[in-house]
Amino acid sequence: MNIIVLAKLVPDLVEELTIDPGGAALDLTFARWIINEFDDHAIEQGILLKERGGGTVTVLVPDLDGADDVLFTAAAKGADRLIKLGGDFNGVNNHALARAFAAVVKELQADLILTGVQAHDDLDGSAGPLLAECLQMPYVGYVSGVSINDGKSLLRKEYPGGLLAEMEVTTPAVLGIQAAEQPPRYVAVSKVRQAMKTSSIEEQDASSLDPCGGPTVGRMFQPEAAAHATMIAGSPDEVADKLVDLFKELGVL
Amino acid sequence: MPIRETFWNIPHWAEITQYILAFVTVVVFLYGVGRRVLRWRQGQPDATRRSGHFWRRIWSLVTQVLAQRRTLDETYPGIMHFTIFWGMLVLAVGTALATVDWDVTHLIFGFQFLTGWVYIVFELALDVLGLLVAVGLGMAIYRRYVTRPARIQDFPARSLAWDDLYVLVMLAFITLSGYLTEGLRIAVTQPDWAAWSPIGNAIAAAFLALGDPANQTLHLIVWALHVLTAFGILASLPFTKLFHILSVPLNIYFRSMQPAGALLPARGDGGVKEWKQFTWKQLLDFEACTRCGRCQDVCPAHVSMPAFSPRNMMVKLETHLWAKANGQALHGDVVSAEELWACTTCRACGQVCPAFIDHIGAFVDMRRHLVEQGEMDNLLQKALMNLGRYGNSFGQSERMRAKWTQPLQPPINDARKTPVEYLWFVGDYASYSPTLADITQKTAQVFQRIGIDFGIMYDGERNAGNDVRRIGEEGLFEILVEKNNQALSKCNYQTIITTDPHTYNTLKNEYPWNGNRPAILHTAELLDQMIASGRLKFKRKLDYKVTYHDPCYLGRYNDVYDAPRRVIAATGCELVEMLRHGDRAFCCGAGGGRIWMEEKKVEERPSEARVREAAALAGVQTLVVACPKDVTMFRDAVKTTGSEARLVVKDLMELVHEAL
Repeated sequence: MNIIVLAKLVPDLVEELTIDPGGAALDLTFARWIINEFDDHAIEQGILLKERGGGTVTVLVPDLDGADDVLFTAAAKGADRLIKLGGDFNGVNNHALARAFAAVVKELQADLILTGVQAHDDLDGSAGPLLAECLQMPYVGYVSGVSINDGKSLLRKEYPGGLLAEMEVTTPAVLGIQAAEQPPRYVAVSKVRQAMKTSSIEEQDASSLDPCGGPTVGRMFQPEAAAHATMIAGSPDEVADKLVDLFKELGVL
Repeated sequence: MPIRETFWNIPHWAEITQYILAFVTVVVFLYGVGRRVLRWRQGQPDATRRSGHFWRRIWSLVTQVLAQRRTLDETYPGIMHFTIFWGMLVLAVGTALATVDWDVTHLIFGFQFLTGWVYIVFELALDVLGLLVAVGLGMAIYRRYVTRPARIQDFPARSLAWDDLYVLVMLAFITLSGYLTEGLRIAVTQPDWAAWSPIGNAIAAAFLALGDPANQTLHLIVWALHVLTAFGILASLPFTKLFHILSVPLNIYFRSMQPAGALLPARGDGGVKEWKQFTWKQLLDFEACTRCGRCQDVCPAHVSMPAFSPRNMMVKLETHLWAKANGQALHGDVVSAEELWACTTCRACGQVCPAFIDHIGAFVDMRRHLVEQGEMDNLLQKALMNLGRYGNSFGQSERMRAKWTQPLQPPINDARKTPVEYLWFVGDYASYSPTLADITQKTAQVFQRIGIDFGIMYDGERNAGNDVRRIGEEGLFEILVEKNNQALSKCNYQTIITTDPHTYNTLKNEYPWNGNRPAILHTAELLDQMIASGRLKFKRKLDYKVTYHDPCYLGRYNDVYDAPRRVIAATGCELVEMLRHGDRAFCCGAGGGRIWMEEKKVEERPSEARVREAAALAGVQTLVVACPKDVTMFRDAVKTTGSEARLVVKDLMELVHEAL
């Protein structure tokens, strides 16, 4: 089983976000990058599959500040192959990212491609379905469990309202991971240091970064204080009267 | 002339048999000891901590073995052990002397040294010291089987109770049979100097009526039983609890002479997974444990989780070394992760242990394995990841580290840019905890009012790593040390000051200063110096009646007990001590990384037990602390115990600020 995990780096919300002077994007000059939390679960799920059924896990990360850390941490957890995708990924949308990923993944003969179901900077939809489209593979999102029997992948998918579904998917397929079967494990610093000595990162350049298909952002801004709610005080009758007056005033009645 | 034929009434064949048995006994004894030594040698080398300081080591044998200082810290068990120890020692030496007197000097060289007044003193001494043993044994039997304190009950293995019984029975029998042999001999021989053996003489009187030859026969039988018991004790010594007679002095001799706050560094990656990865000294530690349970009595983790006891940990580890079933896994079968995470590393156990066992070193070594395996609760994992990524457990940006300084005027110097006399290492809790910002600001104001030249490292500071190391995350500790050293190397300063005892401990005892360690002061020490030199003068006299909680890493780990008390006195407060103070102070429960872990269902939180202890003191309204974590822990505990009306928790700095 050849498992590929795609991990995105997103701005760390521990730092205050600022808007670019152009007013239509984040100012990423001093951004601090962190692995998308769902992608961390995707890596964990990949490692769990390998531990249970063998195979190899390849982790693919765009070259942003912190990419090496993410890759070596994954190696310390058990990933076999580490690929860093070169290119200017600062502020790149998911359409471009999916195309760049797809170009690399095509060469890897993947059985399963795991990625986080979403990220907080998904302005143009999540990367998983876009990637599946590029690769002409099936996609299942909100996956919280994967098991592989006789080459078939049985998935557990979460629906809103606590509904769970089990479904089979033909491989190769792209899965959007909502949660790994166990929380991402802790990996000791000594193990990461060991991985830095024993594993190497392959660098591949993204052929091109084509954002076409994504939306154009008109304006990006910090949340603005909205108008306050008005509390209507008084006895139920008084409140009802005031409400009727208010509705009339607003032209609803 | 008073003299005695040592082997009076003993036929030649019995004497010969005795020597054959003695030979067998020595062989068994040596086999047993050798077996233990070979086991220790399977442990890892640990040369640096065990060599040097020869005279200091000898001196600790004098004070701790001969004078039994720690054992005597507790009156009843202390006297009990002291009398048995000295009584048995003198009786054993006396018996050996009598044998030498007869079978060496008399037999070979034709003279006896136990004659005349020497013999009289000898007889009297043995008679009286035998009584001392009897008193000690009586106390031991009464304590173990009548008063039955919890700490010597409920061992992990039932068979250990038999071991305890065996030792008492053997010692009781050897004392009794010794007196009987003497009494019967006196009854028959009736020497003129019999009065110098008052107890033997009294026993003789009881047997006189029996007459000879009954008494002579009885004497031979009792003598034989006495000899058999003596050899039994000696031969079984390396196989029973009695082995502590050898292992404890060895353990005391080889104890670490380094500061208590310097943890044994990790040996390679991964900590201790199986027992052979312990150092030989740790294996000796386990075998030095006498199950006295003093550690259990003072353990805060035992209060919150009675299933955990440092005594049981030692017992289980010792048993494991000899477990026949080698499939038994150290982690899981012998000790559980839950037990290992329970320890707060307060070192109360190590402080009271008469055998000088280093419990915490072994626990942390095993925790290192858990960390390597990623076996920890979610909160702790989150804290470690935050510490790795942001350098603090709060998961906040390092840029927010000095946010608390914002309202302060004049602004605090950045020690990386301006040379300062005092570099203030603020620490995580004082920097980030919103509830502590007020105290941290007051601390700065106190420094400014005294007029000391100080600065902080702003976003260059990281968690100092004391508790990261005690969690067992040595790699992360190293990274934190590296980052702090980078920041410190940019600063020009003479002295490091901190309000946090944990930071203080690791900076002082564990950071690699390469021989250039600056002065490192806890703020209590700094204030004490300032008061002594007259630089800090108080305008107001506070009239609170207060009690003071010694933080573990300030008190037990670094022996700073008086400085904070002098500061409290200088503010005018009246200090009332809790029963458990100084090196016996009861931990708040936050140390060793416990503050980052999930709180399971507990019997009683250590912090609550402590707050109740403080609140019970008549007239005391204030619990003074000298550690930011204590403020957090005890303020919570005051609320959860509903003691708000009785007790307020104040940092030492708040008192000082108030009295300025």
